[in-house]
Amino acid sequence: MFTQDSLGKILKSHGVSRRGFIKFCSTLTSMLALHPAMAAKVAESLEKVQRPSVIWLHFQECTGCSESLTRSHAPTIESLIFDYISLDYHETLLAAAGDAAEKAMHEAMQAHKGKYLLVVEGSIPLANPGFSTVGGQSNLDVLQNVAKDAAAVIAVGSCASFGGLPNADPNPTGAVSVSDIIKDKPIINISGCPPIPVVITGVLAHFLTFGVLPELDNLGRPKTFYANTIHDRCYRRPFYDKGLFAETFDDEGAKKGWCLYRLGCKGPTTYNACATVKWNDQTSWPVEAGHGCLGCSEPRFWDGGGFYKALSLPDSDVRKMAGYAVATGLAAGAIAGIANKIKKQDMLKQHEVVSVDDWDDKS
Amino acid sequence: MTNVVIAEESKGKLNLERGLNAFREQIDAPVAAFFSSCVHCGLCAEACLFYTETGDPRYTPINKLEPLKRIWEQEYTLWGRAKKALGFAKPVTDELLEQWEPLIYDACSLCGRCSEICPVGNDISGMIRKTREGMVASGHAPEGLVGASFRAVKTGSPMGVKLPALQAQIRHIEADTGMTIPIDVQGADYMALLSSMEIINFPEYIEALAKIFNQAELNWTLCSEAFEATNSGIQIGSSDIAQELVERVVRGAEKLGVKTVISPECGHAYTAIRWEGPNLIGRKYPFKVVHILELLDELKAAGRLKTSSKESMSVTLHDPCQVVRKGGVRAQPRELLKLVNDNLHEMPDAGKMNWCCGGGGGVSANERAEPLRLKVFKRKRDQIESADVEAVVTFCANCRMMLEEGLEHYDMDMPVYSLTEMIADHLEPSVEEPSAVNVEEEDNE
Repeated sequence: MFTQDSLGKILKSHGVSRRGFIKFCSTLTSMLALHPAMAAKVAESLEKVQRPSVIWLHFQECTGCSESLTRSHAPTIESLIFDYISLDYHETLLAAAGDAAEKAMHEAMQAHKGKYLLVVEGSIPLANPGFSTVGGQSNLDVLQNVAKDAAAVIAVGSCASFGGLPNADPNPTGAVSVSDIIKDKPIINISGCPPIPVVITGVLAHFLTFGVLPELDNLGRPKTFYANTIHDRCYRRPFYDKGLFAETFDDEGAKKGWCLYRLGCKGPTTYNACATVKWNDQTSWPVEAGHGCLGCSEPRFWDGGGFYKALSLPDSDVRKMAGYAVATGLAAGAIAGIANKIKKQDMLKQHEVVSVDDWDDKS
Repeated sequence: MTNVVIAEESKGKLNLERGLNAFREQIDAPVAAFFSSCVHCGLCAEACLFYTETGDPRYTPINKLEPLKRIWEQEYTLWGRAKKALGFAKPVTDELLEQWEPLIYDACSLCGRCSEICPVGNDISGMIRKTREGMVASGHAPEGLVGASFRAVKTGSPMGVKLPALQAQIRHIEADTGMTIPIDVQGADYMALLSSMEIINFPEYIEALAKIFNQAELNWTLCSEAFEATNSGIQIGSSDIAQELVERVVRGAEKLGVKTVISPECGHAYTAIRWEGPNLIGRKYPFKVVHILELLDELKAAGRLKTSSKESMSVTLHDPCQVVRKGGVRAQPRELLKLVNDNLHEMPDAGKMNWCCGGGGGVSANERAEPLRLKVFKRKRDQIESADVEAVVTFCANCRMMLEEGLEHYDMDMPVYSLTEMIADHLEPSVEEPSAVNVEEEDNE
């Protein structure tokens, strides 16, 4: 079942030209923000690499992440990833079913013990193991079992990365992220709902080329794609800087393409590559389509107070609060002032008139 | 000794406790606002000639306020009180005050340049004046100023000038010029004040006043009980002593029933009688106070000040800090100078931001400060040099003295003139004699 052919061979057998392959490698290299000279190395590595075994698990999710990848803009190129890797187990794509499927997974785990990559899509329910099971096994058991001998775990999508939608308040299933459970393996979070396809392929290519995972930010996301906010890279940023905002979705500002900040755009607090990589063969992306960023690649984005609520609009009655604050300040100031005044009056009462006779040795 | 209640046995003596009490008395809303708003930018250093000429950071004006600042912080602010309670605050001690005495007295002429420069508007020089109250009460005032204050209170003048000395100068002037100098004229319109410096060193000033007033037919007088305008209390920084000295002038003026009191050219005398006086005695004057140059300007406008000749020599104008920067008498001296000289070459920074002669605020009366004062005079020397003139004109007896000494110290042979005297020297001669008689006759009626 496991082919030992190199990728180069496989690609050729699939009718992918050398030129097409190099083009793909160059794209990946630039996406990964590597030096252009690295394209050759990427190509060389990918050509020679033995296909690593990948096990893809689905927990509490919508399969949108897999859809994002398989239905991406250039299926021939993006789907190549499935040729680079030996996707030994993927519940949605698997031809086999039932015991046969489970057997394939166990075989892969045995054959590539300690070397296979585990990709997780979806969050894990802890409130009741029965909320999500596969073949009678709870998600938690499956995850712990498969992760035990994995080289690394890739959490694809916001559910696996941060808990995502299942984790949203009141979180009835007690959903948690992969990193809440697995503590002893390298974990890489590719957040987004769904993540950008090239981010998924890019991370896999990085692992195949260099044998290690790329540099991560404080939330375990590859810095290559998540180092800047949407806002910082947004083509509507100049309008924000000038203070030009759309106030409704159909006003003059919206028609003129002004900043969507006041319509609830979460761009300023969202780290992702949408503004530069875009979606659907670089056709467009949410803000370009006229809708604010939802902040889908950030933890707890469902509970951010509303997609159409501007970021810094206070959610309580400020005027009342300010009134109390001012009153408190005035009262404290008045008390301190009176205390100081009493002290000064006391000093004045005790004042002894200075007279030149006070000096003993006058000249 | 940190107890706020003054112990019985320490009463009647100048000591730390009394000094701390005085600091506490001085802290008011402006002081609190100033200290809280200081942004530690250090711009005041560059405004102070004691810093610019020595480069010694201790002379940074705001640093001179350390004792007052500590009291404010430790006793009037919440944070400072907490720090004090936890033992993190540095107390104000006799050692600290001793260390700060030369900074507060020798290295500050209360010229007010730092207050003008301060970007947040802190009146630093005003606070140094306040700090001196605590220095006096704690017994940390310099000997020279203590002596001057003692003489001012006991003999009537900081230089020990008594009435007989003034009378002798009057007799000399009367013999030389044939004019009568009116003294103790009941109901006169104007009462002129003098500074000791003028009586002893520059008696020409008295002669000049007489000449000008006679020509203008002014009903004026001197007062035998209150001829001294200088106020050592202001310089040493004791409101009690200053009040006593102001009270003396006010009593004299009230007794004669004059309408206007004329401050002499002397800068700090003007500050004392014109600005601080009513606050010190706690009531309004029943008379007006004008600086002599303000009066001359009024006379000029009324056509009662007539000059007949002009000097051609090139001159520059030194602005006395108390009169120009603090007193606001800025335009008048320049207008008046035009009467007698068309060859004015202003020095750099002339006017409101001119540099101090270095001897104001009691520095000139403090012998210990002399080497420092002469060192920092370099700034004035450079200013005068860049004006490239033959003489310096000013309108403050103390500045005049300091300029003469300073120029001599730097080997610059250059005369220093009083503006009032210069004008008196160029009056129309014809009206001089008869008007003197007229005034005398009027006075006798």
